[in-house]
Amino acid sequence: MSKTRTLKHDGPWYTAGKYLILIVILLFLLFPIYWVLVTSFKTNMEAYQYPPTFFPHSPVLDSFIKLFTQHNQFFVYYQNNLIVSASVALLGCILAIFAGYSLARFKNRWNQAFFALLLASQMFPVISRMISLYAIMGKLGIINTLGGLIFALLAAQVPFCIILMASFFANIPTEIEEAAFVDGAGRWRILFTIVTPLVKSGLLAVGIYAFLMTWDDYLHAATLIQDDSLRTLSVGIALRYLGELSYDWSLVNAISIIGTIPVVLLFFFFQKYMIKGLVAGAVKG
Amino acid sequence: MKSRTLKRTRSDLLFSFILDAPALLMTVLFIIVPIVDSVIKSFQDYGVRNIISGKPGVWNNFANYLYLAKTDAFSMASIHTFSFVLGVVVLQFLLSLLLSLILNTEIKGARLLRSIMMTPWVVPTVISALIWMWLFQPQYGFVKYLVNLVSLGKVQDFAMLNNPRTALAGVGIAALWKQIPLMSLLLLAGLQNVPQEINEAAMIDGAGKFRRFLSVTLPYLSPVIKVSISMAIIENFKQFPLFWTMTGGGPNNATTTLAVLSYREAFVSMNLGSGAAVTTLWMLMMILVVFFYNRVFRVQDLG
Repeated sequence: MSKTRTLKHDGPWYTAGKYLILIVILLFLLFPIYWVLVTSFKTNMEAYQYPPTFFPHSPVLDSFIKLFTQHNQFFVYYQNNLIVSASVALLGCILAIFAGYSLARFKNRWNQAFFALLLASQMFPVISRMISLYAIMGKLGIINTLGGLIFALLAAQVPFCIILMASFFANIPTEIEEAAFVDGAGRWRILFTIVTPLVKSGLLAVGIYAFLMTWDDYLHAATLIQDDSLRTLSVGIALRYLGELSYDWSLVNAISIIGTIPVVLLFFFFQKYMIKGLVAGAVKG
Repeated sequence: MKSRTLKRTRSDLLFSFILDAPALLMTVLFIIVPIVDSVIKSFQDYGVRNIISGKPGVWNNFANYLYLAKTDAFSMASIHTFSFVLGVVVLQFLLSLLLSLILNTEIKGARLLRSIMMTPWVVPTVISALIWMWLFQPQYGFVKYLVNLVSLGKVQDFAMLNNPRTALAGVGIAALWKQIPLMSLLLLAGLQNVPQEINEAAMIDGAGKFRRFLSVTLPYLSPVIKVSISMAIIENFKQFPLFWTMTGGGPNNATTTLAVLSYREAFVSMNLGSGAAVTTLWMLMMILVVFFYNRVFRVQDLG
């Protein structure tokens, strides 16, 4: 009895070391976010103070007001990013239902090759693709359009979305489908009215994943879009607000916050599905 | 009966092909064709003139590759890429493993911590770059203040990203910050699959913490470790926006990786042919690294 107890309890040094490491790693991960938040509520006068202040003397909304009133172009980028990310998420879900179901149900040689193709296509660098797409899409007349950008980004996200979706479909027992098949339901009806509703939470994970990854895009938009009015968030920020000499750091920090809010909300609101999905996709897929 | 199942297999095949078709089309058109085309372009003289006039590129007898061999820009970029990948992946693995092991013990609020620690992963890459540029800012940055404090005032002017010796590490820190959460999450999920009975049995047999970690936890965790490290290798090999935003490849080319070099060649100098030569070699290196990584790991699995 006493022996198991000594085994179960850690020594004080061990516990102290454990908490110390935990605190250091968490500070590394979370302090930068605190720092951005604090800076965005400082005046530029205070942001440019050295040594820095850990809490704003008098928190102000100046940088946010400036963003909303003087830097409206930011919201054009923002809107474009929203359009592109939502479209990719929606279309990605549809393609992932189709191909994910096929990969999970029909284990033939073609599907094995298709799966290998999907795995391989995640490895290629984006710049490699852009060098060629820049010319190809130019010829097709879809360069410098949001539609063209959506297709290029959709192709980049679709492989992982399908692999993820297939792992969710694989968990659905085939007996359910067999029963419906005997009752005379067609294949499409089985897929859409019987199987897909059972993987709703997986579909949510796929959609949010595609949205997050597209929201993050820089390279596709940097090479395929030239019009300022069509630019998306990352490129817009990098080109417009990061001048060589004049950094308005309070403004930049306010931009960081507004640019991150949608994805943070999305993630934390649906984190149950996201965490399950990420683990399933990476570990099983 | 038999003919019916046969019929069904054939229609299964057709149905699965119809389901695959849209995704297959997207993947071929926007990934496979461009990749093959970029390899072809790497053997051609292909610049902005060709795009404007619509003329195809002209075969130029490996001139793009010879040009890369002539200067040391390519070899330097390869060295920077490999050091970056090695440094970030090793540190990321060690820190994520520590974090996940700690979060897997009985700690108050472990669930809450697991969810808030994910925040950096969600922050868009360009914005992560901005966050760290602000922390590293040479006049008013927090890191300058911190270094000054820790070194007891000896190091007054610490400018991480402006010094060729530390700039690569600076970008690496931003990459670590963004990537540790996901790897920790995956490792934590793997740890929760380690059967408690075996761990307890080993404990009763008198195996210490470290011994149990090596002979019980690690074998169960190794599939997850394998996947998450290979994901990290690929991601860091491909990293571009962090470099382009934080340093642009500078100072003095100290952070010019293969990604930066190829982008600069292709889209700043508008020599798409020689840019494609860089990306082709870069892809080859990446495929070789992933291949050998898988080889080494398989041998370890057996042993």
